[in-house]
Amino acid sequence: MGAPSIRLTVPGTLRHRAIAVRVVAEACRLVSRPQDADGGRSENGAHLAPGYDLSHPFDAAFVSAFAEIFNNIAIHAYQRRDGGTIEMAISIAGDGLIVEIRDQGQPFDIDAVPMPELDSLPEGGMGIHIARALLDEVIYEPGPPNLWRLVKRLEPEARQASTAS
Amino acid sequence: MPTEFFDIERTSDATRVIVRGTLDVNSAPALSESIDGIVAERPTKVVVDLSGLDIIDSSGVAVLVKLYKGVRGVGGTVVVQGARDQPLAIFKLLRMDKVFAL
Repeated sequence: MGAPSIRLTVPGTLRHRAIAVRVVAEACRLVSRPQDADGGRSENGAHLAPGYDLSHPFDAAFVSAFAEIFNNIAIHAYQRRDGGTIEMAISIAGDGLIVEIRDQGQPFDIDAVPMPELDSLPEGGMGIHIARALLDEVIYEPGPPNLWRLVKRLEPEARQASTAS
Repeated sequence: MPTEFFDIERTSDATRVIVRGTLDVNSAPALSESIDGIVAERPTKVVVDLSGLDIIDSSGVAVLVKLYKGVRGVGGTVVVQGARDQPLAIFKLLRMDKVFAL
């Protein structure tokens, strides 16, 4: 999946989360619906809704996972403090999307994160589980800088449906 | 205090919590505060309308679980309605679709 990359650096705070999420959502659309990538118009020519469009399962899955990782960095790595940055490199290929995220915050041991006990209706600890369940790869290397590598490939049937429409 | 992301309506037979747009780490804390007030009223029935909810994250799920546990804890029932698209997928992933009877 070698591809040109989009680079974005945002402050590592929840206040700037929406900017990063919106960029990832748009990158997803280039993968899931490349035929729509004509400057923000849908295939019937109408401008997309002001919010980001997660109607495609690929987009919904990737954006959901990415948002959880962003939360994790802002809340845990940077402990809700200002001053940190989140550097993103988004690589788009015909069959998938790779987002690498680097931060300078507090590292952690991802293998020590327990699986949430879903039957007991947890009120926390679900973020990494969501990301892992929705993506093909979630790799974390403690730093500094800490590195997250998020990968999802478009399922062949979704690709056929995308190009046929 | 309701925000652009949610409203709370009280009728004779239920408290309705109407959530719309995005329920995430940034919007969930305000709803969480209101949930404390709802639970303190010891409601017999709370209806959560998610038909206008477009996006949820784990913080949003957590606050709905807090509502569910809180209301059940004071003897009330919780009915969750209208979940669709990304929120419904997240509830299914977390196996909460069965708890919420979605």
